[in-house]
Amino acid sequence: MSEFLQQLLNGISLGAIFALIALGYTMVYGVLRFINFAHCDVFMVGAYVGYFVGQHVPEHTWWGGLTALAVAMLVCAVLGVLIERFAYRPLRSAPTLNVLIAAIGVSLLLENLGQHFFSATPRPFPELFPVYSWEIPHTGLLLYSNQVLVIVFTVFLLFALRFIVMRTRIGIAMRALSLNRQAAALVGINNDLVIAATFALGSALAAAGGILYAVNYPSIDPLMGVMPGLKAFVAAVVGGIGSIPGAALGGLLLGVVETFVNGSEWSTYKDAIAFGLLILILIFRPAGLLGRNVREKV
Amino acid sequence: MMNSAPTPVPPILSLEDVTVRFGGLTAVDAVSLSIGEGELVGLIGPNGAGKTTTFNVIAGVYAPTSGTVRFAGRDLGRSGPADRAALGIARTFQNIRLFGSLSVFDNVRVAMNLHATTGPGHALLRLGRFRDDEANVARRTEELLELFDLLRFRDAPARSLPYGHQRRLEIVRCLATRPRLLLLDEPAAGMNPTEKAGLIELIQRVQKQFSLSILLVEHSMKVVMGCCARIAVLDFGAKIAEGTPAQVQADAKVIEAYLGENHAQSLTHH
Amino acid sequence: MAAPDRRISLHPALVLAGALLAAGLVSHFSDHYNPYYLDVALGAGINVILAVSLNLVNGYTGQFSLGHAGFMATGAYAAAAVTMLLGPSLLGADGGTPWQQNLLFLGALAAGGLAAAVAGLLVGLPSLRLRGDYLAIVTLGFGEIIRVILQNVDALGGAMGLNGIPAYTDLFWVLAVGALTVFVVQCLVRSTYGRGFLATHDDEIAAEAIGLRTTRYKIVAFVVGAFFAGVAGGLFGHLKQTISPSGFDFTKSIEIVVMVILGGMGNTLGVILAAILLTVLPEVLRPVAEYRMIAYSLLLVILMLVRPQGLFQFRRPGRP
Repeated sequence: MSEFLQQLLNGISLGAIFALIALGYTMVYGVLRFINFAHCDVFMVGAYVGYFVGQHVPEHTWWGGLTALAVAMLVCAVLGVLIERFAYRPLRSAPTLNVLIAAIGVSLLLENLGQHFFSATPRPFPELFPVYSWEIPHTGLLLYSNQVLVIVFTVFLLFALRFIVMRTRIGIAMRALSLNRQAAALVGINNDLVIAATFALGSALAAAGGILYAVNYPSIDPLMGVMPGLKAFVAAVVGGIGSIPGAALGGLLLGVVETFVNGSEWSTYKDAIAFGLLILILIFRPAGLLGRNVREKV
Repeated sequence: MMNSAPTPVPPILSLEDVTVRFGGLTAVDAVSLSIGEGELVGLIGPNGAGKTTTFNVIAGVYAPTSGTVRFAGRDLGRSGPADRAALGIARTFQNIRLFGSLSVFDNVRVAMNLHATTGPGHALLRLGRFRDDEANVARRTEELLELFDLLRFRDAPARSLPYGHQRRLEIVRCLATRPRLLLLDEPAAGMNPTEKAGLIELIQRVQKQFSLSILLVEHSMKVVMGCCARIAVLDFGAKIAEGTPAQVQADAKVIEAYLGENHAQSLTHH
Repeated sequence: MAAPDRRISLHPALVLAGALLAAGLVSHFSDHYNPYYLDVALGAGINVILAVSLNLVNGYTGQFSLGHAGFMATGAYAAAAVTMLLGPSLLGADGGTPWQQNLLFLGALAAGGLAAAVAGLLVGLPSLRLRGDYLAIVTLGFGEIIRVILQNVDALGGAMGLNGIPAYTDLFWVLAVGALTVFVVQCLVRSTYGRGFLATHDDEIAAEAIGLRTTRYKIVAFVVGAFFAGVAGGLFGHLKQTISPSGFDFTKSIEIVVMVILGGMGNTLGVILAAILLTVLPEVLRPVAEYRMIAYSLLLVILMLVRPQGLFQFRRPGRP
């Protein structure tokens, strides 16, 4: 029983990271109706920024960790805005396929630049935050502070995001854009600004995800974003692409499922599990668990 | 079974108490309508009356929440647009949907696939039968284009045609599928008075030459009154009147529906 | 006024026969060619097959498939399984005559193609109902699933891959399969039936409205594309003599997609030229090989921004 609970905890922690990345995918998809393939590489950049900041702050301190987090989120927010400005905005009226390909190009560019400048060999990630562990009495459950950190932080960010999207003007503008881009422009919303803000937010979340991931799996390399990115995208689709709660739910689900598979005899297939889940959802409930079916107007 | 009276021919299309609800919104409210073989029927109503939704239900884009759509007596159920095209229902689109990258010729030619007798296997083997079929398709396509004075544009990309010609091409493409019922979705949209007159003539010619039944959804009163033998009027999703153009124009409920909405068009102009 | 297809006065099958004859002739003098250039040419030919087959799916039918390498892998392993497992018993201890070997190879390639086609059907059926961006991710996912499965099948070498595959690939086979691929794709597309692929690409809703079964078209394109990717995989395996699952990953799929985009989607000649260019260029740029992928990715972005129709788009799209 305690084994099950331990795995569950691990799964929730992993799921929280997937959720953070998935949020970026779902927000951009909601606003622009395309999959930002480069998102997973922003995740990687966030981890690397954390690595470099970590060289200049003492390990095992809260302020050190938070500084790294803040810097990474800021840098990646800027990166996200720049990518959107130069690679996606010129293609806003082009067929979706063109933007998709451009996104793939940006993704590959980031990965290969990373391999060129940081070398492909993995680097150990500094222990940014203080490490504690608690044993819960009577259950034999071990709680690690890094895992708790991930969960707490993700919950906090989720609430913050929900607040932004529901209560602030820019958040409402984002929702308007996702429903009808032309109408939003017509009522005076500055689409360019809102889209830039969406990318900034999503990229900041990815950066946070990158650091929290690296804190728990302390080895980073330029291609570290590919698998988590794909899985996070699957999570976003499973939850209902375009839906923020959906991304959170999907991430959680995927994290838990993958962790249990990893602990079973099918562990070598764990990477394929995410895609299997994707296919199942797309066959039986294409709108996702919390999504809504949007039909093209005839 | 000896019977002196002939079996009545079912109307080519009949909507029986069709209701369409989207969440809390009732777009079409228990509408019943029938179109007889060879009839040209119009469907009008103010904006938001449910004309397009009704149209799309007939075309197979939406399934009705309740009610039945019958084509030549047969319940269409939840069949999709491609199935309905195979049965003989063809439709045009409010925002013209031609195959932009294909030539004018190919836009019509591709519609010949519905009744084709050769398929991909034949395309690969390229035996005599394939070549004959292709020649037949080419000939029939040319005939159709010629009939509507579009043959001279045969190799031009469809999107390069002027608007009026594109509308015509869309209708010609429909004819290539050998329909029995033609659904026209606001064909006069964006046309000036001269073009509208040409459209009226086109619709009537098409109906006669191809022995079609036609359902025409339109905003332009001029076109509807000019073509249709019978008109049905929708307002807020329900049918409020039906009859000849003269009857509909004089109907108090119809007048109120249009004037009550401060509708800019009068019923006698446009 | 002649029907447009009558421009080809020669029956396409005759053209194919001529191409096969030419392939045989060219291949006959293989020993006289510089082995390095020959190797590059073989690689280029295999890439041409991959690109032309993907073009049917991505270019003509407009279905954004990112899993082509998965079908290549399926074909490579299936073909290798035939030559390595069935070969010894069919050919005998002495290895058989060249004719017997070629016959075995033909069977192996056919098996590779069929295996890939079946995989294509399995992947296509659930996926092809989905829209562009979804389809891209799902095909990518399937490509990864295939790779992971192959990594876990120890009988096929697992993660270490298969070694010692007989070197059956030669210029004749590559040229012949290349000609066949182009023949099949062109014959399919340049017909009244084939116009349906383009119509599906242009406007699915309008295509359905005139009675075209768009899902069926997508599946046909997908399966045919997968078939030739599988054959190309078989050729690849019997050229390099060693294959492993990691060589058929997402990066490989992207390389093929780049060829299709560079050549101009739906433009077979352009795609052939692009495939050759993108095989030869890395060889020419060997001194700066480490920048190759950076250049690739930049190329993708710049191409989309500046010339999305591809480098080799000579005529208007839509004309056969």
